Amino acid sequence: MSLLRAVEIEEPTSALPKKKGWLPFSGWHILLMPIALLFAVPLVQMVLTSFMTDAEINSFPPKFIPTSINLGGYQQFLTESLAPRWMLNTVVVATISVIAHLILCSTAGYGYARLKFRGRNFGFFAIVATIMIPTQLLMIPTYVMFSKLGVVNTLAAAFIPWLTSAFGIFLMRQFFLSLPKELEEAGMIDGLTSFGVFRRIVLPLAKPALATLAVFTLLNSWNDLVWPLIAISNQDNFTIQVGLTTFQGTRRTQWSALMAGNVIATLPLIVGFLIAQKQFVATMTFSGLKG
Amino acid sequence: MSVSVDVVSSPLTVDPSDRKRQRRTQKRRANVTGWTFVGVSTFMVIGLSIFPAAWALLISRRKWNLLSPPKDIGWKNYGTMVHDPEVWAALRHTLFFTALFVPISILLGMLIAVALNQRIKLVGFYRTAIFIPFVASAAATGILAGFVFEPNYGSANDLLRRLGLPTQPFLESPTQAMMVIVLIALWGQVGFTVVVYLAALQDIPKDVVEAAIVDGANRRQVFRYVTIPELAPVTVFTAVWQTITALQLFDLVYTTTRGGPIGSTTTLVYYVYQVAFQQSRFGYGAAVSYGLFALTMIVTLFMIWYSRRTKIEAF
Amino acid sequence: MKPLVSIVGALTLAVGLAACSSSSSPVTAPTSSASAADSATPVTITMWHGQSDDAAKAIAALAAQYMKENPNVTINVQPGASNTDDLKQKIAAGFVAGDYPDISYAYGSWAGVLAQSGKVLDITSQIQDPAVGWNDFPAAARETATVDGKTFAMPAVVGNLAVIYNKALFDAAGVAYPTNDWTWDDFRTIAKKLTNVDKKIFGTAYSVAGNEDTTWHMWPLLWQNGGSILSDDQQTATFNSDAGVKALEYLRSLAVDDKSMYLDQTGEKYGALFLDGRIGMQISGPWNLYDLQQRKASYGVVQLPGTNGDHQTISGSDIWALFDHGDVNRAKAAFDFTNWLTQPAQDAQWNIALGNMPLRASEKDTAAFAQFVKDYPGGEIFLANFANAKQPRPTVAGYDEMSQNVGKAIAAVLQGQGSAKDALDQAAAKSADALTS
Repeated sequence: MSLLRAVEIEEPTSALPKKKGWLPFSGWHILLMPIALLFAVPLVQMVLTSFMTDAEINSFPPKFIPTSINLGGYQQFLTESLAPRWMLNTVVVATISVIAHLILCSTAGYGYARLKFRGRNFGFFAIVATIMIPTQLLMIPTYVMFSKLGVVNTLAAAFIPWLTSAFGIFLMRQFFLSLPKELEEAGMIDGLTSFGVFRRIVLPLAKPALATLAVFTLLNSWNDLVWPLIAISNQDNFTIQVGLTTFQGTRRTQWSALMAGNVIATLPLIVGFLIAQKQFVATMTFSGLKG
Repeated sequence: MSVSVDVVSSPLTVDPSDRKRQRRTQKRRANVTGWTFVGVSTFMVIGLSIFPAAWALLISRRKWNLLSPPKDIGWKNYGTMVHDPEVWAALRHTLFFTALFVPISILLGMLIAVALNQRIKLVGFYRTAIFIPFVASAAATGILAGFVFEPNYGSANDLLRRLGLPTQPFLESPTQAMMVIVLIALWGQVGFTVVVYLAALQDIPKDVVEAAIVDGANRRQVFRYVTIPELAPVTVFTAVWQTITALQLFDLVYTTTRGGPIGSTTTLVYYVYQVAFQQSRFGYGAAVSYGLFALTMIVTLFMIWYSRRTKIEAF
Repeated sequence: MKPLVSIVGALTLAVGLAACSSSSSPVTAPTSSASAADSATPVTITMWHGQSDDAAKAIAALAAQYMKENPNVTINVQPGASNTDDLKQKIAAGFVAGDYPDISYAYGSWAGVLAQSGKVLDITSQIQDPAVGWNDFPAAARETATVDGKTFAMPAVVGNLAVIYNKALFDAAGVAYPTNDWTWDDFRTIAKKLTNVDKKIFGTAYSVAGNEDTTWHMWPLLWQNGGSILSDDQQTATFNSDAGVKALEYLRSLAVDDKSMYLDQTGEKYGALFLDGRIGMQISGPWNLYDLQQRKASYGVVQLPGTNGDHQTISGSDIWALFDHGDVNRAKAAFDFTNWLTQPAQDAQWNIALGNMPLRASEKDTAAFAQFVKDYPGGEIFLANFANAKQPRPTVAGYDEMSQNVGKAIAAVLQGQGSAKDALDQAAAKSADALTS
């Protein structure tokens, strides 16, 4: 059962013969083009609007394309808020989360996949069970817990929930289960300890799974809104999502600045997606279980 | 005369208690190794999920505003919850959203995936365009949606105007707001189902399809009798996943309508947020969260049971 | 040797029980007596101000000045929260964690629930000192800072509701400016005249976010009609009396019948829209003056319309709540600092400089106030309007919950759902539990 592989969806695989229709192009375009436009246009508009002035935006009838490139929105967002600091915070949170996830989930995934020890099934069952628990149920007690530990209002409050996850452990375990055991057995015969086998044999093979895990963690920790919103009150420690939402609260009608903020908050992930499309897509396809 | 070589180099006569001790040591070492690998992660996951969940149960039996010491009131919060019209309203809104969102996202995802699997031009552009909204955060999506659906200046009404149709209040109308939120959610999430189905489609063995064609099946029959059954497990899994996520809708409501207008977009989780963090009724909020948890479990288990009954091998 | 899994489990439980038990045992904060305070020992206090931008800078500057004049005192100045609304939650978290400040900004509506916590500092005796000038504060502010006969806070920001109107829109519609003796019928007529659907201009606005902003705007109407929010013993809601129904029906007539009232779903838009020139009259407070000046808007201020000559308004009094840490030195430092903050010289840098009302009646004779009136026209009208603030908001612990119930009821009625009587009756019934426990 190979659940995880970087999916090559470059080549369409439809085995159906190409239908000769009465249109000069395939009929599928009639379905896909409007949908693709519907999906892409709001984002395009977001970028275009970020370069307009508020007066242009509030004009009636609404304009779509700016008459000139105006950086006022960006200037407002970057200078009237702590946006640069928020971006830095978010990068820190995302980096710590990704690194921690890679280390903790790969070790735990391997442990649950290959090692035999007392309490293994209980531990893994408990972890899988947590996936069912809605995060909102946990919000209140976690908030109280973090208050007592004194981490409320620090940047740590944003990344502690992302150091490891049931999802990540599950992912890595599934991957390790799919590896042929012979390689590890050979390593053990050669006298390697479990750690040695893990580090030298298994880990190098896990690169695609680790890449997918990194992408999943990056995406979720970067976009996390509600928990940091509740847990962090000091503006200096906001992540970009929280900062953007708070910024919106005091500038409800200043669209150029809001769109500029949107672009700044989303651009890193869009660029990352375009560069690492395969990894992003693989994040989704792992769940294409077929049994 | 062949001699069987004993691989384990131990004396032919072994003291049984020695061997037991050896095994115990080995076992202990295995335990330590195992827990070194999984210990930190397991502790954190349990510490941040199961433990707070259990604590939430305790909190749900209290009346607590965090400012004053909590007061134990037994199960009263659960009684209040059952009689609270706002809880039932929130439940209705949540189920409405789920009932629209999940089927549409699956059908649309499947349809688009089939389309993207065809050998046509521009597939790369389509794929990118449909998937990119997935990386936009709830905060960004909320702000963008507020702009697009703004009754006076937004492009949605602008489009309607150009088509000669009457403009709509969208997010400012109690009847339309939730439907608009469904649309926004689909915009952000369909990319997910499309990609899942694409991968699944590409997993369908080509020879099965070819055999069907050889047997005389046309495109529609191939789709109905080969493709769809092959996609059944993925469909079930995705449906369950999307349902669990849909029942917990909060982020998008927070960044667009804040539960309004007139509470028409207040989902169960948003109601918990209002009750706990705005009215400072943390005990009652915990109780309603548990109600939602129970609901999610019931719905999920039902879906799994139903899929098992119809013999779909997803779980 | 115990299996590791049970150790992990035990550890988790232990942490949990420790955390749990400390939150479930009733904590009564130790009380400080004033007599043993020593003014020479170094002392550090923490203050959460809940402000941003210029207001935050003003507080930081004042704290720095105080520290210079009182070298033994160190004040740790923090915002505490990203906005003032969130401060209540942060204070609550602080109480639970045992890590709360000495001074915190608080909305007046939180006074009841803060006092109930048992963690507030009792400064009833300190304020008797004539140097404090307690009676110099508006009555509503003094009443908000005192719950069950005990004073626990100093006033921080005071304001009241009046009508700010856009002179340019009045001129364009050929409507005369309101006078002091205008009535709610006048208000309605003017709103209708100012509303221009094509130009997307509304005569007035109202927040339907369903929170305190929605609720407290209706209280003056309730009071002018002779009603009251709660019964005398503050155990029963009485806002659903005929007076309340009449008030809500009046608002409804503007929103639903005349459509002259912009309904703001978030509560954060109507101020911005007024500045953009899309709202003719807004019922709001002096906190708008600063932005109006920045935009160089052409505006006027007038007291609320009246009912039978009664132009009663509501005064919002935010406070510096003082918290007890069982340390007499900290208690003294906290009180001394907040008291100093409210003295005219400092208040000029805090309130007047930011376009807020001066805290003390005596400040109206200061040069700073004279400058204020020049910089912020209309300020003197807000000041005079304090005379119209005859009743305080109730400071009961259940106020926030009741406020949300009433707010949601008003929001529904203004958007055309349900009758005023039914909505208010329901809100009263829902709030019963909050008021009695």
